Amino acid sequence: MHPATEKLVSALQDLSISVEACDYQQRGYHFEIDLEADKLRPLAECMLAREMFLGFVGGLHVKPAVEIIYQFASFERACRIVVRVPVAGDNSMPTISDIFQGANWHERETRDFYGVNFTDHPNLKPLILAEEDVDLKPLLKKDEDLKGATEVRWAVPVEEKPEVEKAEQG
Amino acid sequence: MPPELLRMIIAAVLVVAFVFLNAMILGYMERKVSAHIQRRPGLMEVGPHGVLQLIVDGLKLIGKQLVVPEGSNKFLFRLAPVLSFAPCVLPFVVLPFARKLQIVSMDISLIFILAMTSINVIAILVAGWASNNKYSLFGTFRSVAQAVSYEIPMLLSILSIILITSTFSLQGIIAAQKYYWFILIQPLAFIIYFISGLAETNRAPFDMPEAESELTAGFHTEYSGMGFSFFFLAEYANMFTVCSIATVLFLGGWKGIPLPLGDYTGIFWFMLKVYGLLFVMIWVRWTYPRVRFDQLMTFCWKYLIPFSLANLLITAVLVKLI
Amino acid sequence: MENLAENRTAYTDLEPATDIPNENHYYLNMGPQHPSTHGVLRVLLEMDGEYVVDPQPVLGYGHRMQEKMAEHKNWMAFMPNTGRMDYAAALPYNHGYVALFERLCGIEVPARAEYIRVITSELNRIVSHHLWIGAMLLDMGAFTPILYTFDDREQVLDILEDVTGSRLTYCYFRVGGVCKDIDDKFVEKTRAFIKRQRERFDIYNKLVTGNIIFIKRTEGVGVISPDMARRYGVTGPVLRGSGIAYDVRKNEPYSVYPNFDFEIPVGRNGDSYDRYMVRLLEIEQSLRIIEQALDQLPEGSFLGKAPKKMKMPTGDCSFSVEAARGELTYYLVSGGGDIPYRLKIRVPSYSNLSVLPELCQGMLLSDLVAAMGSMDLVIPEIDR
Repeated sequence: MHPATEKLVSALQDLSISVEACDYQQRGYHFEIDLEADKLRPLAECMLAREMFLGFVGGLHVKPAVEIIYQFASFERACRIVVRVPVAGDNSMPTISDIFQGANWHERETRDFYGVNFTDHPNLKPLILAEEDVDLKPLLKKDEDLKGATEVRWAVPVEEKPEVEKAEQG
Repeated sequence: MPPELLRMIIAAVLVVAFVFLNAMILGYMERKVSAHIQRRPGLMEVGPHGVLQLIVDGLKLIGKQLVVPEGSNKFLFRLAPVLSFAPCVLPFVVLPFARKLQIVSMDISLIFILAMTSINVIAILVAGWASNNKYSLFGTFRSVAQAVSYEIPMLLSILSIILITSTFSLQGIIAAQKYYWFILIQPLAFIIYFISGLAETNRAPFDMPEAESELTAGFHTEYSGMGFSFFFLAEYANMFTVCSIATVLFLGGWKGIPLPLGDYTGIFWFMLKVYGLLFVMIWVRWTYPRVRFDQLMTFCWKYLIPFSLANLLITAVLVKLI
Repeated sequence: MENLAENRTAYTDLEPATDIPNENHYYLNMGPQHPSTHGVLRVLLEMDGEYVVDPQPVLGYGHRMQEKMAEHKNWMAFMPNTGRMDYAAALPYNHGYVALFERLCGIEVPARAEYIRVITSELNRIVSHHLWIGAMLLDMGAFTPILYTFDDREQVLDILEDVTGSRLTYCYFRVGGVCKDIDDKFVEKTRAFIKRQRERFDIYNKLVTGNIIFIKRTEGVGVISPDMARRYGVTGPVLRGSGIAYDVRKNEPYSVYPNFDFEIPVGRNGDSYDRYMVRLLEIEQSLRIIEQALDQLPEGSFLGKAPKKMKMPTGDCSFSVEAARGELTYYLVSGGGDIPYRLKIRVPSYSNLSVLPELCQGMLLSDLVAAMGSMDLVIPEIDR
């Protein structure tokens, strides 16, 4: 592991955030973090101080609550971190747009698609959708499609291989 | 009918016809030259090598509706193209195409031309203001500031020629270039005049007023059909005027090597020189990016004006001494 | 009908003409149809004379809800959509998408297929930079360079058309390889193009790079500091212009990029001129990659064993590629089955454009055009 990455991990652990290393070859990122909303801002500040940049902010509609997914990466080394934060009961999330200004648009987009209210966001107007579509929330799933948060995670011992029904030789 | 009046009518018709013809030649030339600069054939469809394209374009423009935008000042909006076009025709009245080919010979013909060309600014001002469009207004602001600023180095560079010839008559200036062209003794004045001329006629790289990547089309954003064509004609007529003054002042006017064309030798050389300069204008336009507005003003006030003043001073001293 | 009428009043209510904070300021609406917004971007400019006080991009005019479409289709049926986001460089989008499923399902790709992917992706990157140089110079008022770059662009498009079947919105890669093999004619034409392009750099330099007006217009305009780039998540040539050598091809190598010797050109000042130089030098680096790839091109299959009907394992997976405009990340959450549960597409231009309000405050309108032009925006990519 790169020394800077080690420092980042230990800094995160100092904030009592548990960081789990992942198999990069399988998942395409190095660490995953499951986080409570109240620790999001300290995490973001730590990320900025440790020279990470914000890849994207996205949503994921699962039971019991919408999860907001943050991906951080580094300009200097291979280090990609996925952070999942379940939205609190009042459908609100603290904003990190004052720490990573790039989050401003990503959060507005997430509000467009999922209706999540980012508290203290400077300008939470619809960005991608038209202003009259403020309540459309297109990416919220219907009840019958909705899956539980654990149903879309990697099973703990990763053995499963894709089911090959018919192979094709090119 | 008195013969003098008949002469004036014929001359007026000829001048207007020439303005249209000039716009057509220049339009064709611009499109062909730009095409070859960009390594493509350009106009090829209408007529051999597309020579009739501009006639077809003209017909199309005549057939188009002039849309008057809502909220505009309708009278001024319609007036502006005419206001732009009319003063552009007048300089042709005093231009010396050849020794005897000049409609009116005035002692102050140079001043007359300069006065007429500066009216164009008012037309642009009216057009931009009446359009009630922010882009048009922007173009107008830029155009007026630019035209007023560049008039100064232009006049100063002309003045150094006037100091040598002591006459405002165009024929007189041509006659003064009996042995050599003034470009040889006043190269700096020529360069300053030509750059100012580019700016005066709103040609690239100084085409601020119609910088289409910033202001869509500048002051004539809202104009369509013949409204637009009048601005178009005026631009080309202005270019011709600027280049013919340059020819008269610096390149010996209609003088040239005698050819077996009788009195037409003069007009041949005159046109050759003018269109040569116009070619350079087109060449510059299709090669350079556009300058920024503040750079344009800096260039005028900090470089062109001091240099033309210095040039004028040196000329004055030398004229006094010799 | 009533609904329509209601919507129209709602829309006019949004016009901000009444709430100008400073009475000397006014709003200028740039776009969605404007010569320098390249597509359907609208920028609402609060202006003070010729100075831009607050530029606010308004997005969504080309919005197609690609992420929703991805959740409703078999993963393979979404494949053509990937070529319709960044129309100027679609192959990296193909690449990221198929590589995502290869990573998720652990599918092997034959070496030849990876080489073909790299060659075509790099050709596509060159095409994109050609388009950009022309369009940027057009924004600056120079009409001629675009025809020179398009001349070169045509050469590449012809090459790509032969092998992929399309000229712009490619759908060429498949999970496990590519859909058609390249032949000797392709190799020959590509080599000829490399030779030709190297000669053309001289023309670009004479016409543009050394032009005093171009330099004066771009130097010191739109300076993005490394810190600013980090805060906004700026990537691609825009970031590298600021001196940070971040390139997914080097940073998290994918495909067969580790096999090639190439450099990451970086700028010094982070202004528009540096971004221009970075892209120009990147064309040369892409040529180097293609040259090496053609030399090393292995024989073998171009499409490996891939299941025709594929069930994905449950879990999430991320794949980043270096698209022509920066880092493109596909982040997939799978709940099993063959339809993605959630596909988040992180497009580079989105983060790059989000810098604009901070970057262009207090700028002249002309500089805003030069700064925005240097970002290389593709609006359908931003709107998705």
